Amino acid sequence: MAARDIIHMNELDHTRFKSWGFSQDFCVTCGLCSSSCPATGIDGFDPRKLIRMLSLGLENEVVASRWPWICTLCAKCENVCPMEIDIADAVRRVRSLRDRDKVPGIIHKGLEAALETGNNLRLPKDDYVFILEDVAEEIAEEPGYEGFTVPIDKKGANILTTIHNKLVNTHTEDLKHWWRIFHAAKEDWTVPSENWEGTNWAYFTGDDEAMKIMTGRIVDHMHKLEVKTLMWPE
Amino acid sequence: MANKVLVIGSGVAGLSAACELAALDIDVEIVEQSDFPGGHAIQYTCKATDTCVKCGACMVEEKLDRVVNHPKIKVMTGTRVQDVSKSDDFSLKLVKKPLFIDPEKCTNCGVCFEKCPEKGAVVKGFSRNHSPFYAISEDKCLYLKDRSCTICQEACPEKAIDLNVPEEAKSTRADAVILATGFTPFNPVSKPYGYGEFRNVVTNLELERMLRTDGRVLKPSTGTEAENIAFIQCVGSRDAKLNHLWCSKVCCGSALRMAGLVKARQPGTQLTFFYMDVQTFGRDFDVFYAKVRKDVRLIRAIPGDIYPVAGDRLQVTFLDNVSSETMQEEFDLVVLSVGMTPCRGLQETAETLQVQLAETGFAEKDGQGTPASEKGVFLAGAVTGPMSIPESIASAGNTAFEVVKYLGV
Repeated sequence: MAARDIIHMNELDHTRFKSWGFSQDFCVTCGLCSSSCPATGIDGFDPRKLIRMLSLGLENEVVASRWPWICTLCAKCENVCPMEIDIADAVRRVRSLRDRDKVPGIIHKGLEAALETGNNLRLPKDDYVFILEDVAEEIAEEPGYEGFTVPIDKKGANILTTIHNKLVNTHTEDLKHWWRIFHAAKEDWTVPSENWEGTNWAYFTGDDEAMKIMTGRIVDHMHKLEVKTLMWPE
Repeated sequence: MANKVLVIGSGVAGLSAACELAALDIDVEIVEQSDFPGGHAIQYTCKATDTCVKCGACMVEEKLDRVVNHPKIKVMTGTRVQDVSKSDDFSLKLVKKPLFIDPEKCTNCGVCFEKCPEKGAVVKGFSRNHSPFYAISEDKCLYLKDRSCTICQEACPEKAIDLNVPEEAKSTRADAVILATGFTPFNPVSKPYGYGEFRNVVTNLELERMLRTDGRVLKPSTGTEAENIAFIQCVGSRDAKLNHLWCSKVCCGSALRMAGLVKARQPGTQLTFFYMDVQTFGRDFDVFYAKVRKDVRLIRAIPGDIYPVAGDRLQVTFLDNVSSETMQEEFDLVVLSVGMTPCRGLQETAETLQVQLAETGFAEKDGQGTPASEKGVFLAGAVTGPMSIPESIASAGNTAFEVVKYLGV
């Protein structure tokens, strides 16, 4: 097949990538990205090729391929890129171009759940509060932590912290580390009872609107609870 | 009064311009900041294998030979221009750093070099036209640091060394000035290749010197022959982050010529060339390219991580174009082809001489406003941007012609 049969010059759309520091046209194909990428070679993934495909108008092919989803958005590529091409941002933008129901299962479902229920797990509020209080009770049994409780929705606290869903799922022990530190530091802190999700998978699906909704919820908590400091451990 | 031209910089461009002008009976003074005339290019090795590969290194030697033996040309090493004023002609204030070794007495015997206890304090020249062949480094010499050592002075059989010579202020006049200060090689310490950390990572210029002085490629860590060498191109060139968008033009040709030379002298050596695209500037590229492609493995990707592994070897990670996977391979020696950047201190010199600089930082012949040449200041060679040896010679030839027109000779 000749190059002209697969390269669609009329489909070049640079305006879509105008937020980049430089156009992908700036790529000198040095290959530093691909040499440095920890995911190079997985299903043939090659960041240099991805950027070249975009600059050659093969956008639809890139959107349909698995490559943008193999990338972990770690951004080592753009750290080494001599031409300052924001490769991770390009990958994220390509992800945003895919139909939402074709976004890979787990992050798509997790995000849908978060938008609908306030957390990726669809964990009901009662169950969530029960888990937090249960963990607090376990801490209270430890020497030096007598009387420890978890301050949920505490108005006027100093710090608001979000919860990564795995901390109320398989990793409840990890909640304790944070809380012990708060206790030792005599910190005035709180957690929200709803919309507490600390991950924002819209970042990974490339969905800016959903990302705004997730972030907006945290901002709302800050206003309602009159908290000035946010601790958002992903 | 006879016409006199001052040339700043004694690299291949400065030497060539001086030769052209002296041939027309014009007096020339060359001011050279370092201890040895010839610039970077005098340190380059001849890269001929069974045939000449037209690298141009010998032309520099030839120009230097003509310059040092020409009655119309005076070379002042260790000298810099401090100030310039212009009325009809130029009055220049020069500063000459102490010449600790008296050229009249020195016989180039090398005793000072052998006896000096501090590495790098007595340095060697690169050419038989460097006389004295040795110089004392102001940065390294122990006597100049804390007066703790006078071994060379005592050991010199000709009593040619005097470590108490003061700096000297001089003045001179000229009818025209040629700025030929060349380039400064990019310092790759900021790049993630471990230069300065790993002993077996060297620059292309260091390899040039090694091949010129030792004739073979040796691992700095052991002094034994390197068997597996990687060349990494475009280090500090074509780099938006550094604001170095230019291609340095000469590095593909010089690295591949050196690779060909190494293969000819040390046939067991494995050679790998990591590149973006091979820049085939100049008519002389094909002289060696077809052959070198058989001798050298060419990989069209710049490597990423580099780590030291057992036995002073370096593990390099790079994209393999064929499999689209990253490969890890070990090399004895990694050669970084560093880019050509504007000459260090060019900004101040340019201000003094009212020469304009381009956005790149290189000097510009036809910038905005009155060209410096109308006031008698001319540019030659790589001070204006990356150039090969033949290009620098051609550039200097054009400049000499312009100077002659300006002087109305």
